[in-house]
Amino acid sequence: MRIGLRTKVVVLSSFLLLLPWLGHQYVAEMENFLRLGQEKNLVATSRALATALHDRPKLFDSQASFLESVEKGRDLYAYNIVGPIQLDGKLQDWQPYLPLVWHYGDAYLTQDNAMHSDEDISFKHMVGKYKDYLYAQFSVTDDDVVMRGRNTISLERNDHLKIAFTNLEGEVKTYLISTKQAGWVNAFDAETKMPFTQIQGYFRLTKQGYNIELRLPLTLLGNKLGFAILDKDQGEEELAEIATSNLNEQQSLGSILVPSPEIEEIIKGMARAGSRVFVVDQHRRVLADAGNIKSADGGWGDTIKKRKPSRWEQFEEEYLHPIYYKILTRPATEFTDITRDVAALDGSHINAALDGHAKSTWRLTPDQKAVILSAAYPIWIDDQVMGAVIAEETTNGIREIRNKAFEKLFNVILAIMLIGTLSLFLFASIISTRIRRLRDAAEKAIDAQGRVTGKIDKQFSSDEIGDLSRSFASIVNRLGGYTHYLENMSSRLSHELRTPVAVVRSSLESLELQNTHEPSQKYIARAKEGVARLNKILTTMSEATRLEHAIENSQKEQFNLSEVINGCMQGYTLAYPNKHFNLALSDEAYALNGVPEFIAQLLDKLISNAVDFAEKETSIEVNYHITSGKAQFSIFNAGPLLPPDMANHIFDSMVSVRESSKQKEPHLGLGLYMARLICDFHGATITATNKNQGVEFLVTFKG
Amino acid sequence: MKKIAIIEDQDAIRENYIDMLESQGYLVKGYADRISAQDELLANLPDLAIIDIGLGDEIDGGFMLCQALRAKSQTLPIIFLTARDNEIDTVSGLRMGADDYLTKDISLAHLAARISAIFRRQLALNTPQQQAQLIERGELVIDPERMQVTWQGVTIDLTVTEYWLVHALAIRPGHVKQRNDLMNEAKIYVDDSTITSHIKRIRKKFLKIDNAFDHIDTVYGMGYRWEAK
Repeated sequence: MRIGLRTKVVVLSSFLLLLPWLGHQYVAEMENFLRLGQEKNLVATSRALATALHDRPKLFDSQASFLESVEKGRDLYAYNIVGPIQLDGKLQDWQPYLPLVWHYGDAYLTQDNAMHSDEDISFKHMVGKYKDYLYAQFSVTDDDVVMRGRNTISLERNDHLKIAFTNLEGEVKTYLISTKQAGWVNAFDAETKMPFTQIQGYFRLTKQGYNIELRLPLTLLGNKLGFAILDKDQGEEELAEIATSNLNEQQSLGSILVPSPEIEEIIKGMARAGSRVFVVDQHRRVLADAGNIKSADGGWGDTIKKRKPSRWEQFEEEYLHPIYYKILTRPATEFTDITRDVAALDGSHINAALDGHAKSTWRLTPDQKAVILSAAYPIWIDDQVMGAVIAEETTNGIREIRNKAFEKLFNVILAIMLIGTLSLFLFASIISTRIRRLRDAAEKAIDAQGRVTGKIDKQFSSDEIGDLSRSFASIVNRLGGYTHYLENMSSRLSHELRTPVAVVRSSLESLELQNTHEPSQKYIARAKEGVARLNKILTTMSEATRLEHAIENSQKEQFNLSEVINGCMQGYTLAYPNKHFNLALSDEAYALNGVPEFIAQLLDKLISNAVDFAEKETSIEVNYHITSGKAQFSIFNAGPLLPPDMANHIFDSMVSVRESSKQKEPHLGLGLYMARLICDFHGATITATNKNQGVEFLVTFKG
Repeated sequence: MKKIAIIEDQDAIRENYIDMLESQGYLVKGYADRISAQDELLANLPDLAIIDIGLGDEIDGGFMLCQALRAKSQTLPIIFLTARDNEIDTVSGLRMGADDYLTKDISLAHLAARISAIFRRQLALNTPQQQAQLIERGELVIDPERMQVTWQGVTIDLTVTEYWLVHALAIRPGHVKQRNDLMNEAKIYVDDSTITSHIKRIRKKFLKIDNAFDHIDTVYGMGYRWEAK
């Protein structure tokens, strides 16, 4: 396969494609630095916050932070509820928090009962905080809902909900929700049996059992809280009880953790600073949080100013960015955040912080759309870690900076590649054009016969191609000189030899005149014969030269080719009476612009050649016809075939394929050379081909 | 005795010619270079000058000598005898007023015949014309004695070779003369193309006098004939 210079350069220039890779490496490195910076920043943020919270035990007191351990289900956590809850028992307000609902089954029965099944009694429950209220929802599965009798005073002989909590003074208060019918309900004080309207809710019957939604003011609440569902089944005295914790003993009452408004107050400012902040206690329960992770980019993205886009930027936006963002990813604004509603946070950074070390980690969101950076810093109270501040940010800001950098980089690289490839291509084109021109010139300078026919124009550029062209030009020049010397060899030889021949000849003649001695006359005669033969050679040699000169000086005229050929052929039948000619000559007039004498000479040479080679008893076939505006004549003689590799060379000067032993007269191989000169002069082509045990010469005149 | 000057730089040839011509009864003097020849010949004109073109270092010394001699005498017969046989030299030699242009492959006998022909023509030109010997072919009149050709009464200045060619053609009008025949009759041995160029030159000389001249016919591949019309 032929690979041109241009292709090679284009392939080589594809190394320019490494540029984007390099750029990518560079930007990736930069991104790493930025991340590192962000990490440090974030750690500093969390430290700053932690500093504000150090040694303020009051903030943590009410939060049951001093518990040795917390137990899920027993120790309750009031999630921050974003929207208002409508107390209607339908629970759809809680929909977003479904994963956080805890299921209370066998394990939470107060008395062990092997016969118990979840259909008998079980419930799902969670608490949440909205504004100044604590909300609780219960979705109770009960195969036999028993309401309080219409005239029943007792509150505890039917299905009911028991609520126990410590108030701010630390006393345990117990309330019951026990209703005669579905609908709006209030609590009853368990001791006084009096309605307690501060706890209110809604009771709704469902297919499985019933739902209770209720709320109580946070101002009532201490740090312990427990709920119990008591199930009264028809025909059974004993009530089944499932409780979040043992409501009867203050010690074993489960704790309630409500996000601390005080701490929240302190960290609220951070929400504006582009970070999300959690404060957790030592049980990893979230005491307070602020900010939204989706807008928390640490303020990194803000460095990219938004202003009115210029025309170039519009173009960029419209045409380039779609291409770029096939590779790049835009930071996702929508991604799933697992930490959004968890009560307790987890992670190596939190572990480290609770152990007293600041630490930061990276993690991918579960949908892999964003990377979240978290830094945790311990909060110290009297040499004890009371909790930790966790600050979180996405790397979206950095990603945006990175993308901007990539965009700029790609622009530059695109420009460089475009200009580079284009200029390389141009360069290669110019070079290949120059080389091609040189090749063409070199090919044109020497024809198929190897004669120098033209000159090579020197290129004047100082580079290698210029050198090459100059050396080519000088080679062709020298070669031309040499071939010229060779071409003129015969004429020069004939000229130079003529004088010595004349000397010999005149001397011999003088000798002949003076010497009458018989034996010497014999030798003189032989010498004269030799001189005559030499003279013949010289004449033939000069004939070719003379024809060349004649061709140079001759003037063309219009004449009828068929007339000339007809006339000539008549002459040949007279001139060679021993040979038989088979003629097929068209009389059709064909006007040729040339010199008729030359055409006659051409025929002379071809016929004499055919006569010389024709075998005895064979006829020479001469055919002249005009087809599609082209005149053609062929001369065929049966006889020895041309050597296969000589067919094109027999028209060259001084080339003869005659067997020297058969030659009676000297032949210099100039006859066919002259034939070709004449053909060239008339713009005709002449070929010799082996055909049917003979040779055919074919002359074709171009129309 | 006719005085002949041979200007030839090749000693051997010069000596041979001198010997041969002296044996023919001419008074021959040889010169090896142009300067010595020119000095002597201008002072004392010979009856015939045989000049080689290339003389020593002077490539065209013979031409210069020819011009000098022709300037001195319009009638002095001059023959170029040279190794140069190309068309340009032949034409320029004849244009300078040479009576003949011969190449060195000519035999001594042939040369002698040429010389005698020239002397005969000169002699004939100086003697009164004898009507009976003229060959008349229409407007063409050939005087074999004087080797002179007239067309429409105007004398055509032909060289000896050209004269013989015209003579050969006109002697039998309508007959095709092959080139070989013409060569034999003109007593020269040259190649075909030389005959062609001689014929062309003859036509031109006739055309100078008569624009409508077309009596020399080319028979392609065979030769030429005189068309009587």
